[in-house]
Amino acid sequence: MEQNRREFIGKSCRALTMAAVATQLSHLGLVSALAQKRSRKSEAVDSYKALVCVFLNGGSDANNMVVPKYTAGYADYSAARTAQGLAIPQANLLSVTPPSIGLEFGLHPNLAELHQLWGQNRLAVVTNVGTLVQPLTKALYLSGAPRPDQLFSHSDQVAQFRTAISNSSATTGWGGRLADRTGPINAGAAIPMITSMAGVTIFSNGVTSSPLIVEPAPTPLNQVLTLNGFGTTSDELARKTAMQRIRGEDLDKTLVQAAGFLTQQAVSVSEQLSTDPPLTVTFPATTLGNQLKQVAKLMKFRTSLNMTRQIFFVQLPGFDTHGSQITNQGNLFTQLSQALKAFYDETVAQGISGQVTTFTMSDFSRTLNPAGTGGNVGSDHAWAGHHLVMGDAVAGGNFYGRPTSNGSIFPTLVNNGPDDISTRGRFVPTVSVEMYAATLARWFGLNEAEMPLVFPLIGNFPTSNLGFMG
Amino acid sequence: MKGFSAPRLFFQAVCCALAIFSAVAVSAQNPPEDAPVLISQPGSTRALTARPTGKSFDFSPKTVQAGRNPRITFFVTNLALLPDEGANAFRVDLQDAQGYRYPLQVLALEPLADRPWVYALTVRLHPLMTNVGDVLVRANWRGMASNRVRLAIGFESRKPEDDAGAVPTPMPDKPPVTTPVQNVASLPWAGDRVRFIEQSTFGPNAALEMRLRRIGFSAWLNEQTEEKRDANGALRYSTYPYPNLPLMPQTPSQTCTGNCLRDNYSMYPLQKWFFRETLYGEDQQLRRRVSWALGQIWVVSGRETIQPSRMVPYVQVLDRNAFGNYRDLMREMTLNPAMGNYLDMAISTQQNPNENYAREILQLFSIGLYRLNQDGTVQRDAQNNPIPTYDQSVVNGFTKVFTGWSFCVQGCPNSQPGIVNYKDQMVLTPANHDAGEKQLLNYPGAVSIIPAGLTADQDFEMALDNIFYHPNVAPFVSKILIQQLVTSNPTPAYVGRVAAVFNDNGQGIRGDLKAVVRAILLDPEARGNLKTDPDYGHLREPVLFVTNILRPLNPVSVATAGGACSNQSDGYLNPATIVLDQDVFNPPSVFNYYPMTYTLQNTDLHAPEFGIFSTGTALKRPNFVNQMIFGGGIGLSSDASCGTQVSLARWQSLAAADTTGALLVDTMNTEIMHGSLSPVVRGHILEAVQAVASTDSLKRARTAFYLVATAPQFQVQR
Repeated sequence: MEQNRREFIGKSCRALTMAAVATQLSHLGLVSALAQKRSRKSEAVDSYKALVCVFLNGGSDANNMVVPKYTAGYADYSAARTAQGLAIPQANLLSVTPPSIGLEFGLHPNLAELHQLWGQNRLAVVTNVGTLVQPLTKALYLSGAPRPDQLFSHSDQVAQFRTAISNSSATTGWGGRLADRTGPINAGAAIPMITSMAGVTIFSNGVTSSPLIVEPAPTPLNQVLTLNGFGTTSDELARKTAMQRIRGEDLDKTLVQAAGFLTQQAVSVSEQLSTDPPLTVTFPATTLGNQLKQVAKLMKFRTSLNMTRQIFFVQLPGFDTHGSQITNQGNLFTQLSQALKAFYDETVAQGISGQVTTFTMSDFSRTLNPAGTGGNVGSDHAWAGHHLVMGDAVAGGNFYGRPTSNGSIFPTLVNNGPDDISTRGRFVPTVSVEMYAATLARWFGLNEAEMPLVFPLIGNFPTSNLGFMG
Repeated sequence: MKGFSAPRLFFQAVCCALAIFSAVAVSAQNPPEDAPVLISQPGSTRALTARPTGKSFDFSPKTVQAGRNPRITFFVTNLALLPDEGANAFRVDLQDAQGYRYPLQVLALEPLADRPWVYALTVRLHPLMTNVGDVLVRANWRGMASNRVRLAIGFESRKPEDDAGAVPTPMPDKPPVTTPVQNVASLPWAGDRVRFIEQSTFGPNAALEMRLRRIGFSAWLNEQTEEKRDANGALRYSTYPYPNLPLMPQTPSQTCTGNCLRDNYSMYPLQKWFFRETLYGEDQQLRRRVSWALGQIWVVSGRETIQPSRMVPYVQVLDRNAFGNYRDLMREMTLNPAMGNYLDMAISTQQNPNENYAREILQLFSIGLYRLNQDGTVQRDAQNNPIPTYDQSVVNGFTKVFTGWSFCVQGCPNSQPGIVNYKDQMVLTPANHDAGEKQLLNYPGAVSIIPAGLTADQDFEMALDNIFYHPNVAPFVSKILIQQLVTSNPTPAYVGRVAAVFNDNGQGIRGDLKAVVRAILLDPEARGNLKTDPDYGHLREPVLFVTNILRPLNPVSVATAGGACSNQSDGYLNPATIVLDQDVFNPPSVFNYYPMTYTLQNTDLHAPEFGIFSTGTALKRPNFVNQMIFGGGIGLSSDASCGTQVSLARWQSLAAADTTGALLVDTMNTEIMHGSLSPVVRGHILEAVQAVASTDSLKRARTAFYLVATAPQFQVQR
């Protein structure tokens, strides 16, 4: 009951009094900055760990990211896609042979850098992941068993991947709830545990945690949050003081309070980010490269900011490839591969490649059956897809998942086949978002007892550990 | 219901509240006091409560037990209700000693038989609420907060303390004097005029304020919505001509670089035109504002459309239909080539159907995912789950309907070889249309299946009618427009009143947007006194933030730009909004710059614009104000041939005329904050103004405006 009540309070407290604002600030790790002192913590208590979520926005077609290369598997794939021009030629696929299946698969040819990490056992694939409220098969689905709200809708499926709650509209994300629960490990942190480089997202909102949001490189880290126009004359100082005091008024008005609070948070954090640290690795100047570059810079400050745990959210948009998929997804994969490799190399340079785990999420995968044909060919919204996990803590060079109808952890790529709940290749997931995320969260330091608080439906699923984190 | 007395104290409370308002309302005429009053015990601020027992009330329990009997009745008066205004016109909340505020579910509102001026307001405590001792309860109606009364949950306690100035408000023996609703919508109060301008335009200026003072809201709405014609007698939907740009090849030629790319392959020309419309387009302010709101429902992004010439027809569809009929808007949007490209209808054929447009026209543009009541609340099944409006079979059906339509390659006025025609409506290629049977939306009275073999045109019109007559359309569209113009969390009653006008404009016409806009802006929840409901209002989105600051300061070109600019800004303002995550005409996805369903953290409140307000953007707002007020504005550059700067002359003269600074700050309170600055905030501003030498009236004016425009109280328009 107490947990429920806590969640209830979290959902329903609207405006906060001054005292409650102070309480909230302490949850955000800002109170130390405001109090001008910081509790010192022994380095030995717990070593640094970070999770980096890379969201492939728009619904990335996993069918062209990880493709069966063995003869029978490729034949199914080719039968579904070659005629319309959406199949990747077998010879172009970058070979991987996961021990868990024992057959040859291939990564998309533009994922060359990631293929290299696979060869070093630093990259794992988690197969057939999707939103679920309970384990499903095609038969169960067709019989009307409970399924996520609004399958195939972007906004809902994006939200469900980010909240790990698929049967109601949640007001917190799993990153935020993970930060709520692991906050004590991070005691004394100078900035919030979560940083988003991609704006506001429900992923990073907890009951008590709220994220720092900064803009990506090339903006130097010491210029992401600056307040211009104040010198040291007495009238300027008086104006600054008045501005600060005005933020402390009208806190009973909900939206006014929220606007003032976020502004105050920005002012507080800006005082902590006074320099722009140099990096060892050169990052590609791309959408994703620039975001990961800023992540690496914040990581470089982890000691001075007293960060023991960090969660980052970055996003690569453009995966909603209803048309022109071959070109568009190909370019995005090139960008993804190059940016992730640069980021990985930078964590090596910083000596934390075993303490930083990077993983992908996406709205959903796309229909095996193409939409359109020729140069315009694309695919429509589907369901289960595959995801990538990168880092030295990852048990790489393998596929992880749960058995599909064919007994292996990879679905049968046949339209209207045993894993397709429609006629166009929309595969029913065998790994829920919860199982995928809980495996990451356990590594991050979430204890078993609190697992259901972060993942309310985890008890519906056979495991909270898919094994890819060793 | 006998034995209540002491109405004297009750009226004292009203007088006290009036005194507070007179301190902040600068207008000669004070707004009338029209807040609801929660009734207390005769000698204390403890609520008069009862337990509903079916036909009557049991007044015996002094405390409410959490979890056991969560229903409780309060008594409220000082209301002038509309005929169909009931429980859904009220929001009730309570605050505990910890400062946490909880919403309560409002179940019923009934007048008392023997005192029809008093209403029994029955609410339900949340079942998870525990016995926390005393709490303070408030009822909000039409954006007005009541006094707060004490309620003991489980046991009585000292904390929380009463609100300052709280007095007993016992049961009145005679009806209070209330404001008739028709007067609420035509108040001659300066604060409401300025707020009306904020809700219906891109910001106040002196001429507009004067116009409204002379002719009133209703006549001004007529003036704005009446037909306007250009010099040739053609209907005109903008003040300045739309950018006249040629359709370009898909891929820029090798010689098209620099300004050629900027002018033909980016939204730059359209953004400049848009901002000039917002700053100077006085005869189209309301149309521009409504068009801007509709464009955040029917989203097309320049990120995929690329050429501004391709976007102009899309903007024209929005403009042309802003006061037209929603059914016409649906039709024109569906056949608009930019939309056809953006959501892939233009490539959807019988042989290779594409679901994108079919899905989004249902989910985002018309009915939404869940069945709605007419007041916009979600319908739920016996298990309390929201009831979906459609399933995949319906998406499949509409997908088939929309197959076969694409760009007009030849035979249309703007068809030309090698150039994709984004100017003429899309046309049908019959062979690409799926003539099979189609499942549409199923609801009472609907023709929910299109039989096989009809023409594509018949399919098209039947399908759009099937959507248009769905009962969700009125509450769905009405609520979003209210959120865009007035407040993020309208009461269901407000949504219901507007939806009723959407369903029937009074002449039996459904979907009349002119009537809908009028209903939104003249509703008592939008008009009247200072709004005191803590959840009222909405964050000014970046475009409104920027224009709301500039318009009252007479934006002009920078001095060195010369006469070629007619002293006007060139509209190069998108750099100011793009850093606030609003890149005009380039929203990141079909889900707009921000989702209308964005929920404020730790609350159950919608706050769409907070979807792009964060630590990352928060300080860029004051930095923009600094640039305009202290930094000389936006200077000349290759992208800004005129630049933009503001004039503080009027404010400077107010600063010079009164060395205490009070005239400056109080006038700003009226004209920029519609009288909503609290005395404490006013004091902080005044102190900073007085820290500037009284001889430096310009710096005093700058200081005051900077503090007003950067205040959280200004970021949120309420």
